[in-house]
Amino acid sequence: MSDITYHPGKEPHPNEHRLIFKNVDRQGWNSTISTYLNEGGYEMLKKSLSMDPKAVIEEVKTSGLRGRGGAGFPTGIKWGFIPPDNKKPVYLICNADESEPGTFKDRYILHQDPHQLIEGMIISAFAVGAHTAYIYIREEFPEAAITLEKAIAEARQNGFLGQNILGSGFDLEIYVHRGAAAYICGEETGLIESLEGKRPYPRIKPPYFPAAMGLYMAPTIVNNVESLCHVVHILRMGGAEYVKLGTPRNSGTRILCVSGDVKKPGYFEVQVGKVTFRELLYDMCGGPKDGREFKAVIPGGSSSKVLRCEESFKIGRGDDAKDLSFWDLPLDFDTLAAAGSMAGSGGVIVMDDSRRMSWILNNITHFYAHESCGQCTPCREGSTWMKKVSDRIEGGSATPDDVKTLEEIAYQIDGKTVCAFGEASAWPVEAMIDKFRDELVSETSENNDFKSAERIEQEKFLSTSF
Amino acid sequence: MSFNIPVPRPRAIDRSRLSYIRLRSVSPPRIPSPVKIDRSKLSYLSAPKALPQPRKINPSHVHYLRPEPSVLEKNILSPETPGNKNFPPFALTPELEEKANQRIAQYPADQKRSAVLPLLHEVQHRFGFISPESIDWVSQKLDLSPIKVVEVVTFYPGFRQKAPGQLHFRVCRTLSCAMGGSYELMAKLCELTGINRSSADAHKDPISVSPCGKYSVEYAECLASCGTAPVCLVNDDFHEGISADKAQDLIAKYNA
Repeated sequence: MSDITYHPGKEPHPNEHRLIFKNVDRQGWNSTISTYLNEGGYEMLKKSLSMDPKAVIEEVKTSGLRGRGGAGFPTGIKWGFIPPDNKKPVYLICNADESEPGTFKDRYILHQDPHQLIEGMIISAFAVGAHTAYIYIREEFPEAAITLEKAIAEARQNGFLGQNILGSGFDLEIYVHRGAAAYICGEETGLIESLEGKRPYPRIKPPYFPAAMGLYMAPTIVNNVESLCHVVHILRMGGAEYVKLGTPRNSGTRILCVSGDVKKPGYFEVQVGKVTFRELLYDMCGGPKDGREFKAVIPGGSSSKVLRCEESFKIGRGDDAKDLSFWDLPLDFDTLAAAGSMAGSGGVIVMDDSRRMSWILNNITHFYAHESCGQCTPCREGSTWMKKVSDRIEGGSATPDDVKTLEEIAYQIDGKTVCAFGEASAWPVEAMIDKFRDELVSETSENNDFKSAERIEQEKFLSTSF
Repeated sequence: MSFNIPVPRPRAIDRSRLSYIRLRSVSPPRIPSPVKIDRSKLSYLSAPKALPQPRKINPSHVHYLRPEPSVLEKNILSPETPGNKNFPPFALTPELEEKANQRIAQYPADQKRSAVLPLLHEVQHRFGFISPESIDWVSQKLDLSPIKVVEVVTFYPGFRQKAPGQLHFRVCRTLSCAMGGSYELMAKLCELTGINRSSADAHKDPISVSPCGKYSVEYAECLASCGTAPVCLVNDDFHEGISADKAQDLIAKYNA
């Protein structure tokens, strides 16, 4: 009944370099194991099982693969954090709780190429020594959960899962665990709590680093769908070859998801850092809608800081420093961090000059107010306050002081919470006010006088004569 | 010899007008004299004649003697909606029991609590929403106290606490979809199905059901298909690029 995300025959853009999305939207491709095996699927699994697990980790370290979930932490190094004297079972979790607004890459892997993910998971589980793996998939992908369970059953029939995989003596079971529509479950410790059947309140780090104390207090590796898929390609190409893709320290390919006010929104798998905003938005996405101009871009999911299209940035240190305009910024982890934002999960949201920034800001604050888990006070209360104040600014009933208030609230959440949700909710507000203060202030008026319930009470008390 | 020196007479002062004198003239409070006590009437001085009979109390008249409402009654409201007629009341079937055992087996034997979410999904899939009876069953099945299941149900927006319509629309309202026109889509859906969303609240009461019980709508946060905005889920089916003018066709597709 549903028209699910499969548009066969859509050709990749020439600028793309497809590894993970090789089979997405391909004519004649489907999610069954026979199709995958025909294309040389599960060959890398056979290769890895003949290797030493440490050699697999070394290969991933050499490749310089950085996690594609948002933080960009090197995957190989994460795997190396499991204590060497560990006696507990090790768990591998695939984070398929893709809920960062603006990101829609995992949807296509899960729906169209589940065996690529499963192969990547088996190799990764073998490398870290896990015998149980979970795929934590978000509730909003009911069809993907069914597709995955079918794919797992097929893989088991073919002997890629279960006891003694392909005669190597390695055992592994993969289970699908469905979440229940909570954004905070994308945070790795929150995800672990949720998998334990509790409210997903993130754990504090230190001491609860998942690699040492994760699921059921045992060492746990949590990786994004895209990162796990990359492992297959790293083994195929070899770490040394893979690292040549992209730019130094930002190796490999990554999927950029463009949405918002462009002619052709969509997903593009490119070499990290080889594509600039100009190429992405004008060449690959067809430019702005007719009669419009680009105004602002959120480069890595809604929690990254917004960038103005007419800005320029000083990138690099010392002699390497150069001034780059927004349009010449390459989309890699380090450059975007130097520009004051982040590459995040690759969700590029574009806004043109028809958009009021107060409206955008209001939509974002509503999202974070709804999704705050409520564990830490600054975030729980602050996100709701930001929602209320931005409601006023958007509705035109705010005073110029409200913009200042909003900024103050944001800075009081930032850095004062257990998990990164605090920053995720505060950064977009901070950046939006920083870059578009004049526009926001112009929508307020000195004549507006907002009175809170407390203020009304106070005035009633003060005006009473004695 | 006599002296008749005129001595100035003191000025007549109206003492009642002087505040400091008035203050001094405040009469001290009267101390009540001790009450005469008829000591023979004091029970603790004389030997008790008979033990006092306990008063008969009707427990239902006293609020703290009423039976404590259970954690389920206090937290899960499950109000009756027109959508209730779409779903059978919670009943344990062998099929559900088997499915539940299968789910529990996915987790280590000493970590049965992990199966809370999968079990609730199984219940919601069959009975439309999470009722107090089903929470009771889940908690017994996993040897948990009911509060541990209630806290999960009340946290996750994915678990419904009241019956939705036969067709449950979840419209994405997050940034990219909102820019693509999901607010208009929601307004159009409400108009076509006769739903009044005025009392809806993102946290407390997200679901609005039409009076006929056939349709219900809800805003969802990011359905992860921002490139094809606006998108919505109809029950478990995903639909992309549903602008407001396509809402009519979408509903018609299900009514065909």
